Amino acid sequence: MDTREQEELGTLLARLADGDRSVFSLVFKQLWSPTHRFCKSLLKNDADASDAAQQAMEKILERASDYDPDRPAMPWALAIAAWECRTLQRRRFRRREADEQEMGEPASEGVEETIQERDLARAALTAMGELSKLDQETLFASFGDDSASATGATLRKRRERALDRLRGAFRRLYGIG
Amino acid sequence: MESVDLSHVERRARARYEWARAKAALFGFAPVLVIVAVATVLARHPSATLLFGLGTFLLGAGLLWYGRDPKRAVLPGVAAGLVPLVLVLCTSTMHGCTGDGCMMLCVPACAAGGLIAGIAVATVGNRRRASAPFWLAASGISLLTGAMGCACVGYTGVLGLAAGYVVGLLPGVFRRTFA
Repeated sequence: MDTREQEELGTLLARLADGDRSVFSLVFKQLWSPTHRFCKSLLKNDADASDAAQQAMEKILERASDYDPDRPAMPWALAIAAWECRTLQRRRFRRREADEQEMGEPASEGVEETIQERDLARAALTAMGELSKLDQETLFASFGDDSASATGATLRKRRERALDRLRGAFRRLYGIG
Repeated sequence: MESVDLSHVERRARARYEWARAKAALFGFAPVLVIVAVATVLARHPSATLLFGLGTFLLGAGLLWYGRDPKRAVLPGVAAGLVPLVLVLCTSTMHGCTGDGCMMLCVPACAAGGLIAGIAVATVGNRRRASAPFWLAASGISLLTGAMGCACVGYTGVLGLAAGYVVGLLPGVFRRTFA
């Protein structure tokens, strides 16, 4: 989805938030494919991705009236989809764990930890997408491979402010942090 | 992906969207129930006040659920309608006496309140260059809000309110139409 399409989606979502039902099907059609693709990339399973994408579409459109037109539409929608994928994964994991316990086999803790770490990393990347380019570059410079060059008082202050904004974005998206 | 019945998913999503809007509208307009309760306690004819109050609540929640221009008319409508309501509640026990006898101040208060409400709605409508649905929605809400108090002398008070409102609103409507 290019920038123009993202802007169009933002406009359509803003209209839907205002109560313009005529754009409902259009918003649904524009969101379905990216949401399904995103869920598939997270869950690596077609059936699970379809389930999660359906749940996510219901949640996204349920919250459409709360959509803030100043925020980019696609990261907002995909953050909800990511949360749904995570919920589905946890549900599946718990079911599997219960099945294994019934069969007398211990559930592997390492698998859940790996899944949680992967989810956390994806959530952080989604929150990063909410920041400005300058903030993103500052954080990449601070914690990326070229962190050695990220010194000096100005950059330190800029990094602190960027981290504050990242925390704010994370809290806004996931209600935690 | 082909196995997913998208029309079914869309229908379910639509139902969730409408339900979420309805819940938000009912919660968002709930504070008006406090005004209805206070007006009902202070009113001379509580049943009529309660009836108009419920009408105000249902119409306001419905407009908030619908959205767009009618939604934006709810707050100015309620604010304008509070003028006749408060005026009438304050004067409902007062009388104006002349040489021939005394009369209740309820009807004049309704007409005066309606006039002010009409002017207020027209001012907001013209300032926002609002569409016809805004004017209709704001008028409906402010008349129903005002009518909670103007039922003090039966429907004469409500007629007084409506007459005052129309007189207050008309100049604004003409300005919008012919400007």
